[in-house]
Amino acid sequence: MSARVAPRGLLRAAITVEARKARSSHVLLWTTVLVVAGVGALTLGILAAVASGEEQVIAKLGPLAGVGGWAGLVGIVVQITAAGGLGAFGVALSWMFGREFADGTVAALFAMPVPRAAIAIGKLIVYAIWAVGVAVLLTGVVTGVGLMLGYGVTDAAGFGELARLPLLVVLTALIAVPAAWAATLGRGLLPGIATTIGIIVVAQVLAIADVGAWVPIVAPALWAIAPDSVPAAALLTVPSVPLVFGALCALAWSRLQLDR
Amino acid sequence: MTPRESAALRLEGRGLVRRFRGGAGLRGIDLGVASGEIHAIVGLNGAGKTTLMRVLLGMLRPDTGEVRVDGVDLRSADAATWARVGQLVEQPLAYGELTGRGNLEIAARLHGIERGCVNRLVDHAIEEFDLGRYARVRTSRLSLGNRQRVGLAAALLHEPMVIVLDEPTNALDPAGVILLRESLLRRAAAGAGILVSSHHLDEVARVADRITVINDGRAIGSLDPDGVDLERAFFDLVLSDDAARDDAARDDATRSAA
Repeated sequence: MSARVAPRGLLRAAITVEARKARSSHVLLWTTVLVVAGVGALTLGILAAVASGEEQVIAKLGPLAGVGGWAGLVGIVVQITAAGGLGAFGVALSWMFGREFADGTVAALFAMPVPRAAIAIGKLIVYAIWAVGVAVLLTGVVTGVGLMLGYGVTDAAGFGELARLPLLVVLTALIAVPAAWAATLGRGLLPGIATTIGIIVVAQVLAIADVGAWVPIVAPALWAIAPDSVPAAALLTVPSVPLVFGALCALAWSRLQLDR
Repeated sequence: MTPRESAALRLEGRGLVRRFRGGAGLRGIDLGVASGEIHAIVGLNGAGKTTLMRVLLGMLRPDTGEVRVDGVDLRSADAATWARVGQLVEQPLAYGELTGRGNLEIAARLHGIERGCVNRLVDHAIEEFDLGRYARVRTSRLSLGNRQRVGLAAALLHEPMVIVLDEPTNALDPAGVILLRESLLRRAAAGAGILVSSHHLDEVARVADRITVINDGRAIGSLDPDGVDLERAFFDLVLSDDAARDDAARDDATRSAA
């Protein structure tokens, strides 16, 4: 008889398994590349357009168009990330949860000592670790771009603006968690992706209208557009989204039936 | 079934009912799998074999009835109970992005095996199911039959005492069928209780101690594994059950009209 893990080790086993699947599939790797390369390319394109006096781009940027240095760079990056990054995070979560149903592997996750709720939590923990990695990498790339543009010399005092970027990335990742719940309830990737699009639309429309500072799924996008209109305490409400929807997700996995 | 017999069962379902919209499902099945026994269930497509296995493994909750796994009520089964179970119902645990070995390693962890014991069990499973050539190949590149072998190895590598396999010979080549047969016979001899479903009556007859025929969500009789013409006996049971149900439906309709 082989040694069995203690109950407290079952969550660790779930995390190990989910990390291995995520690492081997390359889906998260390619999503990281797309987010970093996409945000980087868009940012450089916008900066070039502003520098060459493109009126439409300048009008779309609003007051941000007149802000130079680190603040201007970070301002553009966080606005792109609040929408595009949210899409990428939602798609990644939809894949992590929905693929078990699409591939049919969910049936193999029943009748195991590792509870299905632990598997769901393991997926969310792996997702969170990956999201922090994306935040660090994107911040590193943007720092490189800023230094390349000479902001290290011309705007040394504005360097602290960069701190907004990893925080925005992590907050954006947190509000994508309902996609995991939707992918579970809908038994596939598409319900998760549809939910992600819904969150993006609500967050962007309300943020552009400058309302919803205290609505957790709106606060990050609004903070990206108008940092002064979102109190720090409002940002503290954002973790309520993954807590509530993560719990719902674990509950849904725990009570899952293969009845469809 | 006496309480003593019941206590010796590895897997037991009593009065299992699970109805789906449209009328399909289970209509009250009692079924037991004893220690050391290979119990086969056979039936036509849609008879309820997979639904029965899903209910026995907690993939579906029954409307009524109860399931006991190694004597433990399914509703209170803990990690220790599930650690004694191995199953392959529908899709095997075979993630396309992982190699054959990678899938077996994560299966071992999900079956609650300590990290230090994983390699030994995986090596043994690779040898038992002759997966050496595919151990380092991504599962997405394997044939359906070899994916099934990986799934069977993943379901059995932790030496479970309660085994449930739905159509386990699906897509297997003749060599794979023999490997599986030997594997099941060895495990039954070691005390495992094994429930398998199959459409292949000849194959079932080679391994099963008991064959139960499922039709329209009910257990309608049994076949003798040593019988001479299993196919004929199977169809006699199914057709007479269908005829009896048709007669009953006609009688009901006549009574309602009157």
